[in-house]
Amino acid sequence: MTTLALGTRRARPLISARTRKLLIGYCYLMPAALCMLATVVVPIGMAIKMSLYNDILYKPQDYRFIGLGNYFRLAADPVFWLSLWNSCVWVFGSVALQFVFGFAAALLLNQAFRGRALVRTLTLLPWIIPGVVVGLIWEWLYQPNYGVINDLLIKAGWLHDRIAWLSTPDLAMAAVVFTNVWRGIPFFTIMLLAGLQAVPAELYEAAHVDGASVFGRFRHITLPLLRPIIVVATATRIIWTFNYADLIFVMTNGGPANATQITSTYTLLQAYSNLDFGYAGALSVVLLLVMLVFTAAYLRITRGVEEIA
Amino acid sequence: MMRRRPSAGLAERLLAGPVLWGGLVLLTAFALGPFIWMLLTSLKDHQELYATPLEYLPRHPTLENYVDAWTSPVTPFSRFFFNSLWVCSVTMVATTAVSVLAGYAIARFRFAGRDALLLIFLATQMFPSVLLIAPLLTQWRALGLIDTYQALIYSNFSFTVPFTVWMMVGYFSSIPRDLEESAMIDGCNHFGALCRIVLPLAAPGIAATAIFAFVVSWSELLFAISFTTETDMRTLSAGLLYMVGQYEVQWGPLSAGVIMSTVPVAVLFTFLQRHLIHGLTAGAVKG
Repeated sequence: MTTLALGTRRARPLISARTRKLLIGYCYLMPAALCMLATVVVPIGMAIKMSLYNDILYKPQDYRFIGLGNYFRLAADPVFWLSLWNSCVWVFGSVALQFVFGFAAALLLNQAFRGRALVRTLTLLPWIIPGVVVGLIWEWLYQPNYGVINDLLIKAGWLHDRIAWLSTPDLAMAAVVFTNVWRGIPFFTIMLLAGLQAVPAELYEAAHVDGASVFGRFRHITLPLLRPIIVVATATRIIWTFNYADLIFVMTNGGPANATQITSTYTLLQAYSNLDFGYAGALSVVLLLVMLVFTAAYLRITRGVEEIA
Repeated sequence: MMRRRPSAGLAERLLAGPVLWGGLVLLTAFALGPFIWMLLTSLKDHQELYATPLEYLPRHPTLENYVDAWTSPVTPFSRFFFNSLWVCSVTMVATTAVSVLAGYAIARFRFAGRDALLLIFLATQMFPSVLLIAPLLTQWRALGLIDTYQALIYSNFSFTVPFTVWMMVGYFSSIPRDLEESAMIDGCNHFGALCRIVLPLAAPGIAATAIFAFVVSWSELLFAISFTTETDMRTLSAGLLYMVGQYEVQWGPLSAGVIMSTVPVAVLFTFLQRHLIHGLTAGAVKG
């Protein structure tokens, strides 16, 4: 009897080993999946739904379905179009300068010198401190009367009168972009330094023996070998900067006169100050679409890079 | 070639000497200058702080601003600090537990939709948190979670989990399967093999990723100001912003607050930077 029972159990277990393994896998995934469901997937669904309603927090009596009404308002809103343009300036200004200075820093830190580890750690600091802290530090540096930037420029004779950097419409964007550049340089430095250290030294030696100049070596060895990492780092940075609202929110809150209003801070403005969740929802959906286009492009590009590499 | 040699030599000598050292000095000064200025500010008393012409160095260095900020009843910085410490610690532990399991599953089990899931984790890392604020606010309000730590911790998952899962998949994939398989032949189940074989091997990477989750949560601002209304529930980032909005900006205590918020992450980062940088760049260098 026992042998028979054992035999049948072995031949037809309740669930096959494969299914069991699969079930265990799903169990392991469950907590992470629930987290993403509750904090990302459902909220995105809600944002899309909100964008189709007239949903102003202090006017609950006006809550009703208005279809694409919020999107039509968006299309006719000059501040929205301005914010898209400002986002472009913000993203390309920040990323381009971060890249150039980050690359220069990476080349410097790739050289052998005493105290390299210390210098590397110190120069990475701006990148890891909270955005609010960055914003406040630079607000204090830009401060018209007690800020050290005005003081130094006047002492150097480059400036006659004190400038209110963050409240002058023509200068505010440049000022916040510069702050963001300060913050983002280390990101490119880390990425490109990792790339530089992966380049085999023999390549440089061989080129040196062949008489290639230092610029020739940079153009024909360093740049081509770093191409994949440059593409990945830049694309990641573009998407991240487009979404990043903290710095401008802290420093100028989109002002003066919307001079630094980017699309993500405009969304915040609609949600916080105007409590217009329907309109904020429509803006969120636009942000989401832009992000998806960027990500799709990013995946295409990185896949292309992988094939080449 | 012969004609170009001498000029290349000159360029090389310049690059190795003056350019290298000049660049390094500039780079370090640019990166640290703003911190140093903030530190000097925090050590000045009120009179020196608003002196005209500007005084660069504090003549009578004082810790007054630090005491003020830490003990102020209106903007209780000590309270903000412990709020942040608690929210970030819980976020870190929970995120790590959740993503170790998920990362292991993705790295080891073949199931339908695995690639799609990985793509979702990658894409959500690029989501604007601005997008989540209005819906999450509605959601937490409906659940009665406004002004609770839970609301902040759960919201932090939206950006910590995708990132840490992605990193874990990388760590686990680099550990050879044979080790676990032999453990399982010896009678371990999956969970036992994970705890006894895989986790110890991946421990340094996991620790670095966990700390990174802590540091990212430490910087979080928008959720913290959206889902709390009471002063006592503010985190550091939200508290600093609240100090600005209170009256006229008090740059003395504020600069002390800025320095105190920077020190913990700076220390953590200094200790872990090797591991962190390795983890952050591993994927990019390979790809």
